[in-house]
Amino acid sequence: MVMTRRLVYVVTLVAALGLAVFPVHAQTKDTLTVSLTSHAPTMDPHMHFERVGILVNINMFDSLLHKNPKLEYEPSLALSWKPISDTVWEFKLRRNVKFHNGDPLTAEDVKYSFDRVIDPAKKSPQYGNVRAIKEVKIVAPDTVHLVTDKPFPLLLERLVFFPIVPKKHIEKVGDQAFGTTAPVGTGPWKFVEWKRDQYIKLEAFDGHWRGKAPFKTLVFRAIPEVATEVAELKTGGVDIVRNVSADIVPELKNHPQTYISSVPILRVHYVMLDMRYPPFDKKAARQAANYAIDKQAIIQKLMGGFGSQVATVVQPLAFGYDAEVTPYPYDPKKAKELLAQAGYPNGVDVTLHSSFVAFRPVFEAVAQMLTEVGIRATPKMWDPGPAWNKFLQGEGKATHGMYGSWGNYSVFDADAVLHPLYHPEPGGWIGKWYARVEGLDKLIDEGRSTVDQAKRKRTYSQIQRMIKEEVPSIYLWTQYDMLGISKKVVYQARGDEWLWLFDAKPKN
Amino acid sequence: MAVGTLPRPDLVDTRRATGAREGSRAWRKLVRNPSALAGTLILLVVIGAAVAAPHVAPHDPARQSLVRRFTPPVWEKGGNPAYPLGTDQVGRDILSRLIHGARISLAVGVAAVVVSLLVGVSLGLLSGFVGGRIDTVIMTVVDVTLSFPGLLLALAFVAALGPSVLTIILVLGLTGWERYARVVRAEVLALREKDFVEAARAMGIGTPRILCRHLLPNTFSSIIVLSTLQVAQAILQESALSFLGVGSGSAYPTWGQMTALGRDFVTVAWWLPTFPGLAILLTVLSINLVGDRLRDALDPRAT
Amino acid sequence: MTALLIRRLVRVVVVCVGVSLVTFLILQVSGDPVSLIMPEAPEADRAVLRKALGLDQPLAVQFVRFVASSVRGDFGQSFFHREPAAKLVLERMPTTLTLTLLAMVLATAVALPVGIVSAVRRNSALDHVATVTVFLGQSMPAFLTGIMLILLFGVYWRVLPVSGWATWTSAVLPTITLGTFSAPLLLRIVRSSMLEVINLDYVRTARAKGVTEWLVICRHALRNAALPLVTVAGLQFGLLLGGAVITESVFAVPGVGRLIVGAIRQLDFPVVQAGVFMLAMIVVAVNFAVDLLYIFLNPQIRLR
Repeated sequence: MVMTRRLVYVVTLVAALGLAVFPVHAQTKDTLTVSLTSHAPTMDPHMHFERVGILVNINMFDSLLHKNPKLEYEPSLALSWKPISDTVWEFKLRRNVKFHNGDPLTAEDVKYSFDRVIDPAKKSPQYGNVRAIKEVKIVAPDTVHLVTDKPFPLLLERLVFFPIVPKKHIEKVGDQAFGTTAPVGTGPWKFVEWKRDQYIKLEAFDGHWRGKAPFKTLVFRAIPEVATEVAELKTGGVDIVRNVSADIVPELKNHPQTYISSVPILRVHYVMLDMRYPPFDKKAARQAANYAIDKQAIIQKLMGGFGSQVATVVQPLAFGYDAEVTPYPYDPKKAKELLAQAGYPNGVDVTLHSSFVAFRPVFEAVAQMLTEVGIRATPKMWDPGPAWNKFLQGEGKATHGMYGSWGNYSVFDADAVLHPLYHPEPGGWIGKWYARVEGLDKLIDEGRSTVDQAKRKRTYSQIQRMIKEEVPSIYLWTQYDMLGISKKVVYQARGDEWLWLFDAKPKN
Repeated sequence: MAVGTLPRPDLVDTRRATGAREGSRAWRKLVRNPSALAGTLILLVVIGAAVAAPHVAPHDPARQSLVRRFTPPVWEKGGNPAYPLGTDQVGRDILSRLIHGARISLAVGVAAVVVSLLVGVSLGLLSGFVGGRIDTVIMTVVDVTLSFPGLLLALAFVAALGPSVLTIILVLGLTGWERYARVVRAEVLALREKDFVEAARAMGIGTPRILCRHLLPNTFSSIIVLSTLQVAQAILQESALSFLGVGSGSAYPTWGQMTALGRDFVTVAWWLPTFPGLAILLTVLSINLVGDRLRDALDPRAT
Repeated sequence: MTALLIRRLVRVVVVCVGVSLVTFLILQVSGDPVSLIMPEAPEADRAVLRKALGLDQPLAVQFVRFVASSVRGDFGQSFFHREPAAKLVLERMPTTLTLTLLAMVLATAVALPVGIVSAVRRNSALDHVATVTVFLGQSMPAFLTGIMLILLFGVYWRVLPVSGWATWTSAVLPTITLGTFSAPLLLRIVRSSMLEVINLDYVRTARAKGVTEWLVICRHALRNAALPLVTVAGLQFGLLLGGAVITESVFAVPGVGRLIVGAIRQLDFPVVQAGVFMLAMIVVAVNFAVDLLYIFLNPQIRLR
C-alpha cells in the first residue's frame, strides 16, 4: 500500500539520518556534569571576561594564588609571597609542576602569562584588571618580582584568578589554536573536546600537583533555558545547576534526587539614582527613596530569605566593610515627609530601568514600594543586549534610576565596588553618568593608592559614612548564590561564586 | 502560488455583482460548521474582554502583594476564590492580567496587521497594475523579505531599536507585509486585462481611481481572510519575541509576555505560563478555524 | 526556457545581496560592537580596535568590502570567538538543516493522512477532530509546546532525553515542536487538492469497478497534491529555518539559529552577517530548485 510503503521509507530515512548524524553517547558514573548558560568564546583564560569562561578555566589552569573554601589565600603555583617595597612583590614558585603536555612550569611561563595581558597589542579584555602591573622580572629560576607603577592594594586579589599559561606551547601552536583546540594548563583536569554550543569535556590530569581529581571526566554543557536545565538536573542529565532562583529552591530541596547548597556572595543589589536631574538631584528625595523600600519583606518573600540587607554598596565580605554604618530602615511615613521636603508633596513620576532579568519580580516590587510613598516609578525592563548598552552608555537624559547588581568579579575589596560604581574615570563607566557626590572621587583614589591596610580601612569607613548620608543609590542587599546539586555529588557552594570542582566528591 | 489557498480570481467579477447574496451564503456556511461556530464564540468573548477590560477585571492587574504571591488557582489546595486563576510571582491576579492582556495582545496583533496591510496592499496594487520595473523591484524586495530567516529579522530590529510597544508593532508589521503584496498583486494581474478595466481606462478614469474603486474591492475577500490569519501570526510572533527576551518591557504585559516570563516557574507555579498560553492557544485556534472556514465559504468551488 | 532560468538566477543573486544589505544596515543601527568587546577601556583603546576591525570606514566602503570578501567565502573574523565567522556558521549548519528537514518530513507525514481523511469524510466528526488537533500544534507558542513536551516526555515519563543533541533520540522532541508548525498549512493544501479531484469521473468509475476506494483516492489525490506541496515546500523551509531558533534554545540544540541570536545580542557583526547570508542563500537555493521542479513538472508554465 502506498501509505505503508511511504511510511517505511520515511522511517528508514530518518533512522539512517539519525545514525549518520548523531554518534551514540554513553554516560559513565565517574563523570561530573555542570550546566552553564553558554560557553565563553574561547578557552584562552586571558582573552575573555565571561563568568562562564572563568568557571571552566579555573578547573584547567592554576594561578599564583588560590582561595580555600573559607576564602583565605592559599599557595597555588606560588609557594610564598611578600612585598619587597610599596611597588614590588616577590613570589617564590612551586617546583615540579607539570603542564598537561608534560612541559615543566618555569618562571618564563609566569612572565609570559603576564606579558601577554599587559601588552595592549594583544587586546586582552582583562587588561584593565592588571593594568597596574608594569613589569614582571625573573630574578631566579623559581622567583619572580611583580612591579606595579603605583601601590596596588588589589594585587593579591587579582592574582587569585590570573591563570598561568605555557609559553613554549602557545608559541608553537599560536593563540588561536590555544583557545579553541589545544588549551594546556596545570590544573586538575585537562582538555579533551569542545563541541561548540554543546559541551566542553575535560579529563583528570594524572600529573596534577595537588593529586588525583575526584572525577575522571568533567563536562560543561551549554543549556540556555532555565526550565530545561532544571529538568536535566532532576533526570540526572546534569549534576550541578547555577543561579537557582529562590522560587525554584523549595522544589529542588524536596525532590528526591536533588538538594540545594547556598552561601552568601559578594553580589550586591542597588538602584543607581541619577543625581544630575530632578527629582534625585535633591538629597531628601534620595533619602526618601531609601526609606521607602521594605527590604526585609523582599528578602524574605521574594528571595526566600537568601539575602542580607546592606547599609551601602560595600559588602560585609569585602575588605573595608564598616559594620558601624547602619542601613536605612523601612519607614514609609518618613519617606513621604522627606519627599515633601524635597519639594514633591504630591509625589513625582520617575522611570527606572534595568536589564537584570533574573530579578524582574524584585524590580517590580521595588517600583511598587516607591510608588506607594509617592515616587511613582514605572519599571522598564531591558534585554541585556546592544540596545541596553547603547542606552547605558549614552547620555541617558533624566534616566532617573537603574536597578542592577555588582559582583566585584569576586574581588573581596571595597575598591572593587566603589570604583566602578562611583568613580567617573573610564573604569567606572556606570558612575560616569549618575553619581555626583562631592569629594567622593578623591577618597576613592586615596583608598586605592596605598598598601597600608589600616589606612585604607579608615578611608573606606569615611566613604561609607559619606555615601550613606548622600545616598547616590538606593541600597538594598547582598544575595546568596544557590546551586542545585544532584544527590550523587557532594559539593559546597563558595562565597566567590567559583565552581572549584576539585573539592567535589561522588556520593557512594 | 499553491492551489487551494485562495478564492479563484477569475470568478471575482461575477461575485462582485452578486456580493450581497454571496456574503449571506458565506455567513450561513460559517455558522453551520461547529468548529467555526465555537471559534467565533470564543473570539467574541476575547474581543469583549478586551473592550470591557477595566470593567470586567476583578482586580487591578498591576497591584502587587508579596503576601499573596504564588496563590494557586481556586480549585487547588491553598486557592482563594478572590483570585480564581491564582496570582503570579509578585501577587498580581492572573485573571485580571489575562483580561487586560486580551486588550494589549489584540491591540498589538491588529495594529501590526494594519501596518502590514497598508504597506503590503499599496505595494501589491502598485506592483500588479503598473507592472514593469516597479513590479520587478517590489517583487525583489518581497523575495528578500521572504528569504530572511523569519524571526531573526524581527529580533535584529528590536535588539537595535530597544524595547517598546511601538517598536514591536512596527517590527511585526514590517515582517508580514509581503503576503498581502503577493496576494493583491496576483489578483490585480488577473483582473487588469479585463473588460471593465479597459472600459474605465477608455473613459479616461485615472489610475489611482481605477485602483481604488475598481480593483481594490475585488481583493477584499482575500485580504479579509489573510488578515484574520495574520493577526493570529502576529500574536504568536510577539510571544516568540518575548521568549527571546525582546518583549516590550512595559508593565502591562501581552499574553505572549506573560507566557514567556512565566515559563521559568512552570514547575513551581504551573498556572503562570499555562493560562496565558491557553488564552493564546484558544484565540489563535479560533482565528485559524474561523479564517479557514471563511476561506472555504468564500470559495465557490468548495461546494 | 534559458531566458527564464537566467532571470531566476539573477533574482537569486540580487536577493542575496539584498539580504546582506538589510542585515548590514540593521547592524549598523544597532550600536557599537567595540563597546561590547571592551566596555571598560578608555576611548583611545577602543578607537584602535575599531580601526583594526575596519569599523571606522564609511558605510559604503564597509559594505562593498563585505560583499567582495563574502563572495570568496570570507566573512571575516568573529569579534568574540576569534575564529572565522564562516567556520562557526558552517559547523552548525548541518544540525539546523537536519532539524528543519526532519520537521518537514514529520509535518508532511502528518498532513497527508489527515488531509486525505479530512477531505474524503468532509464535515464529519473525524474531519473536525483531525483538523482541530493539527491546528492545535500551531496555535500554541513554540517554546511553551517545547517545555511541555520536555516536562511530559523527559521528566514525568523518562522516555526521551531532555535536551542536547547527543543521540538520535534527542531529535524527537525538537522535531515534534518544530514540525507541528508546518502541518496545518500542508494539511490545508492536501485537503483542497483532494477536494478538487474527489468527484471526478474516473474516481467514480474506479469505485464502480470495485478497486479499493482508498487506493484510488490516494494515488490520484497525491498526484494532484504533489505539485502544490512542492511549491510550498520552499516557503515552508524558509519559515522553519527561522523558527528553529526557538526550538534550538529550548532544547539546547547546537544550531545556527542559536548562534545568530547570541551574535545579535553581542553585536558580533561578522557572525550575524555570515549566518543570515548563508541561511538566506539556502532558502533561495531551495526555492530556486523548487521553481525548477515546478517548471519541469508543469509544462504549461514552460511556454509562457
